[in-house]
Amino acid sequence: MAIAVKLDDLLHDRRMTLTELADRVGMTLANLSILKTGKARAIRFSTLDAICEALSCQPGDLLRFEPATPAESG
Amino acid sequence: MSRPVQSTAALPIAYATLRILIVANWLMAVVILALLFALPNEQWIMKAFKLSPSPDAERVVMGLRVIAVFGLAAIPLHYIVLKRLLAIVETVRSGDPFVAANADRLKAIAWVLFTLQIFSIVIGAIAKAVSSPAHPLHLNAGFSVNGWLAVLFTFLLARVFAEGALMREDLEGTV
Repeated sequence: MAIAVKLDDLLHDRRMTLTELADRVGMTLANLSILKTGKARAIRFSTLDAICEALSCQPGDLLRFEPATPAESG
Repeated sequence: MSRPVQSTAALPIAYATLRILIVANWLMAVVILALLFALPNEQWIMKAFKLSPSPDAERVVMGLRVIAVFGLAAIPLHYIVLKRLLAIVETVRSGDPFVAANADRLKAIAWVLFTLQIFSIVIGAIAKAVSSPAHPLHLNAGFSVNGWLAVLFTFLLARVFAEGALMREDLEGTV
């Protein structure tokens, strides 16, 4: 997947744990782990909204497009 | 993510019916085999079908034997359909029917139904070929609009299940 989730970096910058974020946004730790590890297939706007609110960031800070190199895609 | 479905009588009835049909299908195989090999007595067949000895009657008996071979070939095809239906009922019982495996099962069932329709046309043609005014042979076989609609419907249903399985996967991966 060419979309990278930068949740780890954002949490590190804000000195926040995944459990704390889960409490703030009202999501399960399991679902946040799926997002953090890049295993999610889709993200709801409501989830994005809650995470951006909790981390005081923009959606672009959380998601980044990283084109796959030919070796990876081939 | 699977959740058990609400208890209804339909699923246990479907399950039990399919189990009975699987046994009945094998019994049918035994009966056809007996007709073909254990009871090859022409006189007996002539008597059973009220045929009088003549070249026409012999042709009818030969035609019936060929039809019996087609009937025998249909037994494993019926088994494929029944076993797959049973597996689909199992997934419904466990509350997770929209899986790729069910789409594959329905596709296999559709191909078998297609083959059985071809069999039916061939059997109908054989019956017509051996039938004569003196020895008419009326079989419920041949081209069937309903049969071909069932084939089309099953192929469509397989596609619907494939799409449903993809949507289900997307939903499960949505956070």
